[in-house]
Amino acid sequence: MPTTLRIALLAGLLALLSNLAVIGFIYGRTHDEAVASLHRQVVEQAKVLTDVYRSGGRPALDEAIGDTLAYADPQTAVALLDANGRQIEGNLAQAPAVQSMQEGYRSAVVRLQGQPSPHQAEIQLSRLPGGLWLISGRLVGEGLAFRATLERSLLLALVVAGLLGLLCGVILAHYVARRIGNIAAVANRISARDLSQRVPLSGAGDSFDRLGMQINAMLDRISRLMEELRLLTDTLAHDLRSPAGRLRAAAQAAAESDDPAEQEELLNSVVRNADALIRILSTVLEISRSEALTGRNQFSWFDVSELGAELAEMYDPLAEERGAALLFDRPKRPVPLFGHRQLLAQAISNLVENAIRYGSAGGRIEVRVRPGEKQIRIEVADRGPGIPLERRQEALKRFGRLDSSRSDEGAGLGLALAQAIAHLHDGELLLEDNQPGLLIVMRLPVHPPERSR
Amino acid sequence: MGRKILLVEDDRETASYLAKGLTQEGHSVEQATNGQDGLFRATDGSFDLIILDRMLPVLDGISVLRALRAANIETPVLILSALASVGDRIEGLECGSDDYLVKPFSFAELLARVNALLRRRESRVGPTDHRLTVGDLEIDPLSRTVKRAGKKLELKPREYLLLEYFARNEGRVVTRTMLLEQVWDYHFDPGTNVIDVHVSRLRRKLDEGFEKPLLHTVRGAGYMLAA
Repeated sequence: MPTTLRIALLAGLLALLSNLAVIGFIYGRTHDEAVASLHRQVVEQAKVLTDVYRSGGRPALDEAIGDTLAYADPQTAVALLDANGRQIEGNLAQAPAVQSMQEGYRSAVVRLQGQPSPHQAEIQLSRLPGGLWLISGRLVGEGLAFRATLERSLLLALVVAGLLGLLCGVILAHYVARRIGNIAAVANRISARDLSQRVPLSGAGDSFDRLGMQINAMLDRISRLMEELRLLTDTLAHDLRSPAGRLRAAAQAAAESDDPAEQEELLNSVVRNADALIRILSTVLEISRSEALTGRNQFSWFDVSELGAELAEMYDPLAEERGAALLFDRPKRPVPLFGHRQLLAQAISNLVENAIRYGSAGGRIEVRVRPGEKQIRIEVADRGPGIPLERRQEALKRFGRLDSSRSDEGAGLGLALAQAIAHLHDGELLLEDNQPGLLIVMRLPVHPPERSR
Repeated sequence: MGRKILLVEDDRETASYLAKGLTQEGHSVEQATNGQDGLFRATDGSFDLIILDRMLPVLDGISVLRALRAANIETPVLILSALASVGDRIEGLECGSDDYLVKPFSFAELLARVNALLRRRESRVGPTDHRLTVGDLEIDPLSRTVKRAGKKLELKPREYLLLEYFARNEGRVVTRTMLLEQVWDYHFDPGTNVIDVHVSRLRRKLDEGFEKPLLHTVRGAGYMLAA
């Protein structure tokens, strides 16, 4: 609730401030307007009188000043002074000192004849030929009453605006609290261990919906990572058991054996199994690194077709030894990709090793690099037994369990690692039917979108 | 033949195991147990090789290495690390180390790499006769031609690179991982015997029809080219 209150107060304050700005502007404008019109009147009156003097001389001017005093409103101030500063004609109670006078427009304090106190006035001083001074001005007091009314209504408007702002703030705060409350409730349920909860969306597509969608996307990713982690842990525990068991058996047998030759053989087996364990652990490490998207700082541009050719050449003798031909269909042009060359080399080699291991019987293993505008497909196809459709998804996640008779530990992790490396590149790994055999496709964007690691 | 090696390793068990093994190989080993001490000792530049653990107390291995290279001390450095991912290895190599070995490793693997690094230092200083000869084998790196007993051998480009690497480490054990890293420039651990297949192909071309084999298998370690 304090947040709601704060939002309400903030909204009220903002309303008050914006209204204050508007009112200040109106007040300033009316003030400026009044000053400007005063200025116009004063200058015009001075100009008229000066013109009268120029055309008709003293008599005409005297007459004009007389007329002005007789017919003008009581705010008018006008005076004709001689060179010594004596008032010849006019309605000033006291004439200013001529010595310090300069031509021009200014503010001054003057007292008119018949008035008890001096007033603020705007005056125009003009020097006439013959050493005469003409003072023309108006008291500022004019329009004061109107301004007071204006000020009162503006103040009232301000108070009303403040209250309305507060009201709007309360409504707004309630709305925000309700929308946020929904999200918070979901977050609460998730904290209480139900990761399957999702933020309900209003369908309005506003910022709250966008926030909700972001949170949901984040939850999807967390769920996926959790699931992968769980499967990986399962696979790991399973895959580690057999070499660990064999290691233990060999070590024990070596300890009990009397024959040095047999002992050496058993100790070698201990080392082999320990190496297998280490390899599984490194692969798991690499998978978790890639799934966490670390390593993107080592991305660079390189030619995938050259990498494919290099790996095909590297594995060709091995395939031949297993009775299969490894064919690489090299594109005519380089296929640039922004990615992690070393990790992709590892991923492709895992796919090729997998094909050699399980698909050699088919006699033909093909590695292809298919360039595309935005996506590159790296394909490894064999003509072995393949994997039935319903088991492919499972194969990617826990390959190690697909065939319990398999003796190469970590072989299943090889595919999981290839998939993790594809994910690191914002790509994916697909298992398809090669009719016959298995077709593994690694689909990678040419340049993965930038995003924070 | 003995060389001065500085071993900077905080794990006492690993350190004494390595020091013992290297001493048995005829090298003299000085030890430091933290990065600062290691850096201090290394700065006199009198060592032929520095074996540097990556995770050290006080000052980590990478910082020690950077400080050394910044001070123009070009002693070869072999980094040991429990950080085993491909990214970690690349990062370690890019910091100016000459080799990167992931824990756990066999002593044979470490020794092979130590010897290769010491050898590289030696040949860098020695005369630059570009022809390589091992027994009756002759390799010309400029034209990339190989002759054995005067007869030209037809090698594929990768087979040639493999042989040249062996020849540059003549009489020393070369491990499978070293071959993968140096000849192919890959830093992962293949799950198959792909390297052995390449070596046995090379061996067929190199030794078949000759009485005395040049390319030997060293059990539990790797291979060696020697007359």
